[in-house]
Amino acid sequence: MAETATAKPIEKRVVLDLDRCIGCKSCMAACFYGHKELHGVEFVDLGPALLPVVCRQCADPACVETCPAEAMVRDAEGVVARAMFHCRSCGSCVRACPFGVLSLEKVGHQIAKCDLCQDRLARDLEPRCVAVCPTRALRFATVAEIEADGLTILGGRVAGEHPIRRRL
Amino acid sequence: MSSSASNESLRAPASRCLLCNVGCPVRVMRAGPDQWLPDYVPHAGYAGLCGRGSVLVELADHPDRLRGAHRHGGGGREVLDLRAVAAEAAEALRGADSAAVIVDGNYDVDTLAAVGAFAKSLGATWAVSLPPSDEALVRGLDSSGCRFVGPEALEQADAMLVIGDVFATHPVAAHWILEAKARQPRMPVLVLAASAGVTADFASASFQAVPGAGLAAAVAAVRTGNVSALGPRAKGLAGWKDLLKGAKQPAIVLAADAGRASVLALAAEVAHLAKELQAAVCPLTTYGNAWGAMRAAAAGGAAAAGGAAGVEDILRDPPEALLVIGADVESALAPQAVASALDGVLTLVYVGPMPNRTSRRAGLVFPAAFAFEQSGRALLGPARETAFEPLLAPPAGVPSVREILALAGGGAVKANLTSPVAAATARANGEPKGEGLLLVLANDPVHFADGSLTREARWPQTVIPRPVLLLAEEDAEAAGVADGRRAVLQGPGGRAEVVVATDAAQARGQARASAAFPAVRDVFGWKLGGPDAFEPVRVRVGKA
Repeated sequence: MAETATAKPIEKRVVLDLDRCIGCKSCMAACFYGHKELHGVEFVDLGPALLPVVCRQCADPACVETCPAEAMVRDAEGVVARAMFHCRSCGSCVRACPFGVLSLEKVGHQIAKCDLCQDRLARDLEPRCVAVCPTRALRFATVAEIEADGLTILGGRVAGEHPIRRRL
Repeated sequence: MSSSASNESLRAPASRCLLCNVGCPVRVMRAGPDQWLPDYVPHAGYAGLCGRGSVLVELADHPDRLRGAHRHGGGGREVLDLRAVAAEAAEALRGADSAAVIVDGNYDVDTLAAVGAFAKSLGATWAVSLPPSDEALVRGLDSSGCRFVGPEALEQADAMLVIGDVFATHPVAAHWILEAKARQPRMPVLVLAASAGVTADFASASFQAVPGAGLAAAVAAVRTGNVSALGPRAKGLAGWKDLLKGAKQPAIVLAADAGRASVLALAAEVAHLAKELQAAVCPLTTYGNAWGAMRAAAAGGAAAAGGAAGVEDILRDPPEALLVIGADVESALAPQAVASALDGVLTLVYVGPMPNRTSRRAGLVFPAAFAFEQSGRALLGPARETAFEPLLAPPAGVPSVREILALAGGGAVKANLTSPVAAATARANGEPKGEGLLLVLANDPVHFADGSLTREARWPQTVIPRPVLLLAEEDAEAAGVADGRRAVLQGPGGRAEVVVATDAAQARGQARASAAFPAVRDVFGWKLGGPDAFEPVRVRVGKA
């Protein structure tokens, strides 16, 4: 895993602007249909708000470190991706993710993992959840681009170089 | 408010989603030899796509799709030759003592006009099937003389009155409202709705009206400044007329999913207010082509000038032979009442893309393309005529409705969309008497509210598989039910099982339930064509 874990972190991430999300679940539908009906975008009910959670492509991803089957890897592009045929459906990554963005599908017992829509990135297009979002609440941007708009990335430290580790 | 660049591009041919009148451009990409996926590429005014729009591609390739003509009865299904059976169906309609045709209002306007002409040639009455709220909105506003705009023009507004939970019913319309707010962060936005919802979270001020006639009363209170009749909660509405009038480009956004009488009264109030404020009105309908369907029906001499009222007129006195095209009238109206009406029809012929409650009753069933599998024209709102291209070709052997009409002896007709639909008199019902919660139907961003179309699709099934009942936390506690738990709704028409959702912002004594589920509609006990059609009722909630 050391080889993949030291790969260059991805520059652009999917970032949610909390002030613009209307909870319409368009992102969820786009991800569902774009990824063979796996739920790469989940919605969490925080009480005052219902918000989508999308993989943050951590710089030091706990899911990669904890995976016993080397199914979670950071690929050459820096995307934390799942190798479907290596996955043993043990759920270690689900429990390790500090943001709760991974889930074990009830049907098929696969891990739904955001790959930033590699097929679209190859066509110079944004990931589906971003492209479909009617309010531009989801953005595909670098930290610098987000901060240039006067916004702050919550949990940036967690997703950066000093991830919180959960006790497994 | 001038037409924006996106308004110009709205007229450019592209495939359109007509699952609401935002009319988003949609595209597909090939993902395998026989597999297609929605493709989210900015083009022709694309501003995003809600979940319903993403479902279209799945529907096109749905395993349950009708692919061959067949005859029900005799304990089995006999597969038939399309050409022979089309002629047989036309003959059955022509030979009946009374015949009628009902067509889904989301087909392109020229198909609707062709259906009307075909019906007339058979001596049959005809009507387009639309949600009663859409019908009432068009009837209430089309001849009002208001200045209408599409949602893309809302970006230019500098003050807004938003009526209904627009962000839930028309998520993509939120794009332009939030863009306007981004341009002017202090833009005043007042939201009036019949239940708690996400739109109110983005407002400068909001007011939750009593479902039914309460929304019209709230708009009247804004117009007159007389808010005392609405109780102490409405105090904040008093100064809003001046706020809106002081704006350079005020806009009123209206998405109504209440009953027919309530929406008519609401539309009349909105028209008054819009004229006094010189505000632009952006009407948002459940059916993308509701405006086109109503105008095409009125020009084509449909029963009751089209709309759900026309469908109800036909069903109240069931014809001997009935041809239903594309619509699941049983799910879309009041299922129990429609089921008993359809029992009286001797010859029922169904033409459409998907099986549904109505098709399962039909003696003859024809497969047909979806509206988005053919090119055509739609009228998304006044002065919002758009031409659209097919999203996908229909499966091999599945003809368009126009092709089926041609097989049955019908011809091509160009719809006349120039004349506004005549206004109808607004006569709002009072608040229903009795005990229990006041229940209203509501649309959501996941399901299409015709009661059948998206319920068969996989993503809506995973997200909202059962009807949801929204109510206040105190009301849930009093009923002994809790957030996320199952409950039973008991109303004048029967009972339905629902999943409870509580919201601290929901007013006590008021509730809303998913419109996409026919079982919920049965709870209301509506009668066809009755004055209470699609209006709120009192219900009781209990543990499942």
